[in-house]
Amino acid sequence: MGVVGLMSTDSAGPAQSGQLQPSPEETLVESNSEEQAPAVKSDIEGEAAETAEQRTARFERDAMPLLDQLYAAALRMTRNPADAEDLVQETYLRAYGAFDSFREGTNLRAWLYRILTNTYINGYRKRQRQPVAQPSEEITDWQLAQAAQHSSSGLRSAEMDALDRLPDTDVKEALSQLPDEFRMAVYLADVEGFAYKEIAEIMGTPIGTVMSRLHRGRKQLRDMLTGVARERGFLRDAEVAS
Amino acid sequence: MSCGKPHDTDCHQVLAELWLFLDNECNRERRELLQRHLDECGPCLEEYGLEEHLKALLARKCGGDHAPDALKQRLRESIREIMMRQAVLGAEVTVHQTEDGTIVEVSSVESHAWLSTER
Repeated sequence: MGVVGLMSTDSAGPAQSGQLQPSPEETLVESNSEEQAPAVKSDIEGEAAETAEQRTARFERDAMPLLDQLYAAALRMTRNPADAEDLVQETYLRAYGAFDSFREGTNLRAWLYRILTNTYINGYRKRQRQPVAQPSEEITDWQLAQAAQHSSSGLRSAEMDALDRLPDTDVKEALSQLPDEFRMAVYLADVEGFAYKEIAEIMGTPIGTVMSRLHRGRKQLRDMLTGVARERGFLRDAEVAS
Repeated sequence: MSCGKPHDTDCHQVLAELWLFLDNECNRERRELLQRHLDECGPCLEEYGLEEHLKALLARKCGGDHAPDALKQRLRESIREIMMRQAVLGAEVTVHQTEDGTIVEVSSVESHAWLSTER
């Protein structure tokens, strides 16, 4: 309460008018303090529904438990622990700074991933200056390319067994070899289990692009993994089904 | 290669939509149609099995990393610190990124107004 009290001067005025309306739950929480300090509400408008302390507590309660997940994603994006830490730290500080614009009850996980993705694309990737393969993304080709044929029975199960025998490091390494956009789409869909619509929002692309990236990413990944399995001797040449 | 049996839906078409099915992204009607095909077409089912397997493999092997405790601690401290500064100064917080890393800027535009009225 003291937090808002300190700011109850007439300086706040119209500058704050762009605030989102507080959700019903937030308004409820705040109803007591309104009685204690009625002037606060009019000064800071919507903002007064939640003190900085309450917002911080809400952030710690809701966003902090997702830190491991975000870190794992950052690790797949940046491909090294030091960059992943920096990326996650910046993501969380940005998220905290913008948390009053986040509406409680909407998808916090997707919101955080979106900040993570933007931070990565706009900052780290530029800074890393690694040559990033920019694949062409024809939306129409994903269906055509998928129209593959069955291969003969038996080869599939051999391929499956071989993939199972690959150590984690091989699978992570193969994923890391995919171009950024493909890697992120595959990671968000297969590891995090996001729906296409959510991935589209996170990556800021149409759903068709998500499907195209997923399609190409998975296909490349499968080819790569099959190749690695063959190198490791888990799969004989004749057994490669493609 | 096709299993040779006649189906309501062409194998070709089913394979094209396999990932939609796997990702639970098709509507119920389409889903039932594909499901029926997979139930009666061994080769398509096997292809589906492999893709499903691959998806599960990725989920199992590429996630689950834990953020270092030091990072968690550092973040909690930073957030509390920003909050305290915001509380005292009524400040705006912006996050910048530079060559040297992340910079959190807390600008105290309203501190004067506050000080003058409180005195």
